[in-house]
Amino acid sequence: MSLKRKLTAIGYEGTINCDDENDFCKIIIWLERNRIKFYSNEDKKALDNVNASNWSTFYDKYAKDLECPMERNPPEACLDWYLGYAIKLEYIKNKNVYDKHSFENEKVENAPKVVPDNPLDALDFTSREFQEGVQKLANILKIPPHPSPLIMLEACTKIIQTRLNPKAIENPSEYIITGTPYPYKDMSLGFELKDREVDEAAKVLRLLFIQDQRDLQTKVNECIVAVQSITANPKTDTRLGKVGK
Amino acid sequence: MVVRKYEDELQYLEKINSHCWRIKKGFQPNMNVEGVFYVNSTLEKLMLEELRNACRPGMAGGFLPGVKQIANVAALPGIVGRSVGLPDIHSGYGFAIGNMAAFDMDNPDSVVSPGGVGFDINCGVRLLRTNLFEKDVQPVKEQLAQSLFDHIPVGVGSKGIIPMNAKDLEEALEMGMDWSLREGYVWAEDKEHCEEYGRMLNADPSKVSMRAKKRGLPQLGTLGAGNHYAEIQVVDEIYDKWAASKMGIEEKGQVCVMIHSGSRGFGHQVATDALVQMEKAMKRDTIVTNDRQLACARIHSTEGQDYLKAMAAAANFAWVNRSSMTFLTRQAFAKQFNTSPDDLDMHVIYDVSHNIAKEEEHIVDGKPKRLLVHRKGSTRAFPPHHPLIPVDYQLTGQPVLIGGTMGTCSYVLTGTEKGMLETFGSTCHGAGRALSRAKSRRNIEYTDVLKKLESIGISIRVASPKLVMEEAPESYKNVTDVVDTCHAAGISKKAIKLRPIAVIKG
Repeated sequence: MSLKRKLTAIGYEGTINCDDENDFCKIIIWLERNRIKFYSNEDKKALDNVNASNWSTFYDKYAKDLECPMERNPPEACLDWYLGYAIKLEYIKNKNVYDKHSFENEKVENAPKVVPDNPLDALDFTSREFQEGVQKLANILKIPPHPSPLIMLEACTKIIQTRLNPKAIENPSEYIITGTPYPYKDMSLGFELKDREVDEAAKVLRLLFIQDQRDLQTKVNECIVAVQSITANPKTDTRLGKVGK
Repeated sequence: MVVRKYEDELQYLEKINSHCWRIKKGFQPNMNVEGVFYVNSTLEKLMLEELRNACRPGMAGGFLPGVKQIANVAALPGIVGRSVGLPDIHSGYGFAIGNMAAFDMDNPDSVVSPGGVGFDINCGVRLLRTNLFEKDVQPVKEQLAQSLFDHIPVGVGSKGIIPMNAKDLEEALEMGMDWSLREGYVWAEDKEHCEEYGRMLNADPSKVSMRAKKRGLPQLGTLGAGNHYAEIQVVDEIYDKWAASKMGIEEKGQVCVMIHSGSRGFGHQVATDALVQMEKAMKRDTIVTNDRQLACARIHSTEGQDYLKAMAAAANFAWVNRSSMTFLTRQAFAKQFNTSPDDLDMHVIYDVSHNIAKEEEHIVDGKPKRLLVHRKGSTRAFPPHHPLIPVDYQLTGQPVLIGGTMGTCSYVLTGTEKGMLETFGSTCHGAGRALSRAKSRRNIEYTDVLKKLESIGISIRVASPKLVMEEAPESYKNVTDVVDTCHAAGISKKAIKLRPIAVIKG
């Protein structure tokens, strides 16, 4: 669904069926010709021919040239990367126009400027060096790519904090999530927003909320257990028992 | 009671759909709202048969038929929505057992009625799972049944083996399952998987008579008599794989333990004491009801509040009682299998109350309202995402535990959206009596009942075998009919079926 949105945003008017090999080729070709424009006209020609039997070879070369980190399968994730890439290029091209409406610029008038004293804040998050570093880290942690390196970094942080902290490394079995995954797409949301995509998003929010609640409940249980270690003294006395009639 | 011919009575009943009937105003005098009941074709016959019998000349006296009782409840002051009869409905004191009714807390005339809760306050069902399978338990089930029987005293006049003094009881009445937790009888996770987290916060032991406390003290940790039981059960069928898996039930053959018990003599005394008070309050506030058994008091009157506080204490008593029996069950299993309850994964799946009145928020005519919901022989069944159900069941809906009759089968259902809208999030509670106790005693031999259980491979330990025919499956409606009706009507959804392999009873 988000693929369709991104395609519309970038001005692609064709249809999309991810299971159709042809659609995949068409979109890649359209993106390269109209938006990404990485190749010179000479090189484009080879990629342009959808019907060529060796299109895949050209594609592989193209992916390598563009440094696409994604495998071709599943096609959704792969296309998503190309779309993100194309959108980024579009953004850079018209940066001034878009930035006018950015959150920071909208707010700047009535908020005093805070001078950061954290050296990390002084990093240039747009620098190629930073982006490459994050990409490498993400590859090691097997995190699927996202066009914004900052969001990628956030994802890395989350994985490191929850799964690679000293306790987790010592006792990995306690931190590896077990259990059967629940088919959340089939679950009832409890209300309807008359828009399938918003409903999906609401479901994801529900799940995140449930996860937070679970964490809280586990902490409550731990508190109870801690108190029990002081107060508990269960007793039985079989002499008191009496079977009735 | 209005005396009419059966044919005339039928004019007031209308079948809305295959599983639901409407009781129109006028069926009984002064009905404020309509009534409704859920049945399938089999239960429908029983229901109408009962009404037909009551219409025969000379049949006055005794309990009113269930439909009449639903309609009388619909005539109580402050009732909202509809007076709801669940498929397992049968005549009871004032309210039929299997009747739920909600009263508007913001209406000063609204009432609370002990008859709408029942004498066994917070009678309920708790289900424990294990990681054992039928093949692990079959060879030792006789020993296990005996061990449970030795640990959990059963029967009329039985006494528990957990030592308690008067001070302990006071604390337990106030704290409910928190008392069991503090003393170390149960696990933190048990509280999480219990309706109301095992504690009614408005409990006030000072509103409970000395007599009730004296009756209750030695009875904690005992099962009681009547339809109460502890059963070792085996998963027989899984209808909803995902819901079952959230409850820790993965496969057929997995062994569970079901405990069905209540507040024993304590709750009975609380109800009896309240009825006396309420008769006075009715005279003072000129509250008129169709049936003397529907004694009630305004929710915000002293009598109403005193009853609710004492009832909450009795509810807490029942939770402590079921918790103590959980502890004893875990001990019995741990001893038999020479391991710890932890290693047997003996977690509480859920604990439901089916005789209780609680303040809840519901949507009535599109507006949120504070209601006092009476459920008598009716189980709360909240839908997925309801804030009052445990986090583990947020996606599946609240587990609803339906204890069958001795030797038949039991079910786990889940709550639904539709039930929330139609029945204030309520569903059935069990099989529901078809024959009166006296009739069962006349018609069935106890030896036959015991033989029959034995022949289908169920180990049984019973304190008073001569009363066992009262609880024979023949005395009850078929629990499968009851559950299928709730499922078909959409007021709850089938998740798991369980069958017993060992029973201990009063």
